[in-house]
Amino acid sequence: MSAKSVIELWLWGGPSQLETFDPKPDASPDYNNGLKAIDTVVPGMKVHEWWPNLAKCANLCSFIRTMTHPHFGHETATYLMQTGRNPGGGIVYPAIGAVMAMMRAKTYSGDLPPYVILTGAKGRFSEVGFLGDKYAPLVTGGNPNQPKFVVDGIVPPGGLTKEEIGTRFDLLSRMDTFGRPEAFTDFIAAGKEARRVIEGSAAATFDLSQETDAMRDRYGRTWIGQSLLAARRLVEYGVPYITVNMSGWDSHKRHFETMKQRTADTDKAVAALLSDLHERKLLDSTILWVSGEFGRTTKFDRNPPWNGGRNHYPRCFSALVAGGGFRGGCVVGESDDTASKVGKRPVTPVDFLGSIYELCGIDPDGQMPNNAGKKLTVLPPASTEGRLREIYA
Amino acid sequence: MTKSGTNYDVSRRAFIGGTAAFAGLPLLGAAPQNGEAGTTCPPNAAWETVFGDATPAVLVRRLYLDLAGRIPTVEEAKAFVRSRNRKGLVDKLLASDSFADYWSMRFCDILRVKSEFPINLWPNAVYVYHRRIREFVKKDEPWTAFTRALLSATGSDFRDAEANFFRASALRTPEGLAEAATATFLGENYADLPEKTRAEYAKYFRRVRIKNTREWKEEIVYLDPSQDGPTPAAFADYLLGPARDKFARAFVQRVDWWMLGLEKPDPAHVAIFRKNGFRLKPLVRAIAMSRAYGRGSITGGFPCRRLDAEVLDDMICDLTNTKRDYQSIAPEPFTFLPKDRRSILIEDGSISNAFLLLFGRPARDTGLLSERHNEITAKQRLYLFNSGKLFRILGRITDDKAFRSRPMRAIVQDLYWRFLSRPALPAEVDMLVAHHSGLKGGARWRFPRDVAWSLMNTREFLYQH
Repeated sequence: MSAKSVIELWLWGGPSQLETFDPKPDASPDYNNGLKAIDTVVPGMKVHEWWPNLAKCANLCSFIRTMTHPHFGHETATYLMQTGRNPGGGIVYPAIGAVMAMMRAKTYSGDLPPYVILTGAKGRFSEVGFLGDKYAPLVTGGNPNQPKFVVDGIVPPGGLTKEEIGTRFDLLSRMDTFGRPEAFTDFIAAGKEARRVIEGSAAATFDLSQETDAMRDRYGRTWIGQSLLAARRLVEYGVPYITVNMSGWDSHKRHFETMKQRTADTDKAVAALLSDLHERKLLDSTILWVSGEFGRTTKFDRNPPWNGGRNHYPRCFSALVAGGGFRGGCVVGESDDTASKVGKRPVTPVDFLGSIYELCGIDPDGQMPNNAGKKLTVLPPASTEGRLREIYA
Repeated sequence: MTKSGTNYDVSRRAFIGGTAAFAGLPLLGAAPQNGEAGTTCPPNAAWETVFGDATPAVLVRRLYLDLAGRIPTVEEAKAFVRSRNRKGLVDKLLASDSFADYWSMRFCDILRVKSEFPINLWPNAVYVYHRRIREFVKKDEPWTAFTRALLSATGSDFRDAEANFFRASALRTPEGLAEAATATFLGENYADLPEKTRAEYAKYFRRVRIKNTREWKEEIVYLDPSQDGPTPAAFADYLLGPARDKFARAFVQRVDWWMLGLEKPDPAHVAIFRKNGFRLKPLVRAIAMSRAYGRGSITGGFPCRRLDAEVLDDMICDLTNTKRDYQSIAPEPFTFLPKDRRSILIEDGSISNAFLLLFGRPARDTGLLSERHNEITAKQRLYLFNSGKLFRILGRITDDKAFRSRPMRAIVQDLYWRFLSRPALPAEVDMLVAHHSGLKGGARWRFPRDVAWSLMNTREFLYQH
């Protein structure tokens, strides 16, 4: 069985591998700042001490400690991590979410768009590449942690009733008389699709007040907590690809203060999502992946103006995968004593994305339809180490 | 260009209808005499004459959209419908600042003007380069001279605007620069050229170097003095010499595509372009005055195109007197744009807003025309149908006391003129007035806003037609 949905938790800026999934308690304090690792429920699988909730459900997820690529800049690294390609060549490739939206177009029949981003677009590059706007994500805007999560365009404005909305559409159809219908099939189809969202039940997916207070507390009353809760509701609805785009991981300055606060919220939210998906028997059909575009330098800088900062570092960093055909409780790869170099089993972005595609039933070496008249594959060939088959269930 | 003479990046998807009926027309035939376009008859009376030509109201909207990047105001539209002075309007618009604003946006798409990824011009250089491109349009400099200037420039990206041509390439290698130059000036895909030609072209760019200075994000473009061999200026000699035909066709192709949705440049247009010293405005004038450009889009063959994201954003903001929220994702130095800045005037492809993202502003990554999809999607229609913000700002027109104090017939006429630049037909007014008289309470009060909402959601509003 292949995975039906993917939740991508994108940690924009590049989170440190040391304070996430590859702690190095035995290195010098110049590297770990005297912070510790803690045991998880899986013997031998340790996590940084700031992830106590995740430690309790580590059996549901796996860590990859040897992600590696050569790009030190946010944009180039993000492009590679999202598309599996290096920039250049006069062509801009689509991000994995847009590709998934296209590949699932025939089988996904929901009214919501197949690719949803909570809550802001990645923005620094065109995610949809040459695929065209049809596969661009629905960017929700709004804040799920507000009393009312307003997704502009989804919830009818002005408190209109269903009947009033119907009357208004009737008015529109009588006024929109321009052109021959057969010349505007795309326009008409898009309108029908949009009306289904408005007049159907899809909008309720974003209504977090339908969850109990206990459930909302379990994810944490934070932006990330409520965003992941919304993501779970979107999975239940059937949306194939959901990105939760979380910023604030680019900790050049005051790294430890930033990380402590970011990890506290994220640990709680990710652990709640994993256990919740598991309890609802959705984890087997849902992939969760958590990563940024790179990790951070391992020896931190105590001097002003950095005051304990870590810089960009792509040569060795960590990611988390869970569900949808990935086994839990595993660690892939081994870094050196300070998490600076890949020791065993490098994992390239192409191998990483290829594994996700493969578990979704999409052949990464297969053809990618495009309007550029080119013969393209979904991804370039995998490295000699290959995709993450050692942790496929 | 390919063998058939089509720029390799043209995507037919952007246009609806058109070319079959269009192909048989002499594209530069004389426009109908003023006044001839007057007779109309149902069922397409709002848009076309019995001869299949556009009505004056359609034509004035079309000309403003193409030549000024906006729809006419009510006064401007009514004035043209009265005077029908097409030549006067075309000349006025060509001389306007709006023409320079809108067409420099188009050329900035082609020249990839953005501050971040995969083109790293950085903010300061973006503004310098944009200003220079706008000057090219405004002064109607020959494309030959501007091309030579771009390919001969060296110096600082802050001061020598043209030197940014070399910086606006994702790959700053000889091959990368050759790729950018062939796409920009010849409309050719470098990767599709024979290997021998590729090597020949790349040779022209072997000496181009870019170095940092001590000024933050300033770069100097220079030619490596330790090397011999051809320079990019020699590539300009090649373009303006042996490759002159192809060079002219590649330019005209874009203008024909933007204005007429043609996949191939019309040979007559190429001749006009060359005869007029490779200048843009005489070419645009000739097309705007042509018979083909004045055809109707129902039966006359003029192709429809969903409006550009920027143009649509400006139209809605103009109609509702609304300001915008721009997001600059390009950091350091951060750019803050005034909220009343028109979208067509955003210099930097890296600055955007949610509306522009939704409606597909081109990323300016490759400079290809196909980056501007102009597709209509369910997400766009959902937003137009259902956005709380749009519904609220439409109220700025229709909740106004003076606006509401008139009879419903007058209100309907006013809204048609504002949104569609034409009068409502008697049948349309009757239908709406009858509809209104059957309403009660909140729905009755909301009716003008619902009419405005409907007009904003019509094809007639959302498309160039």
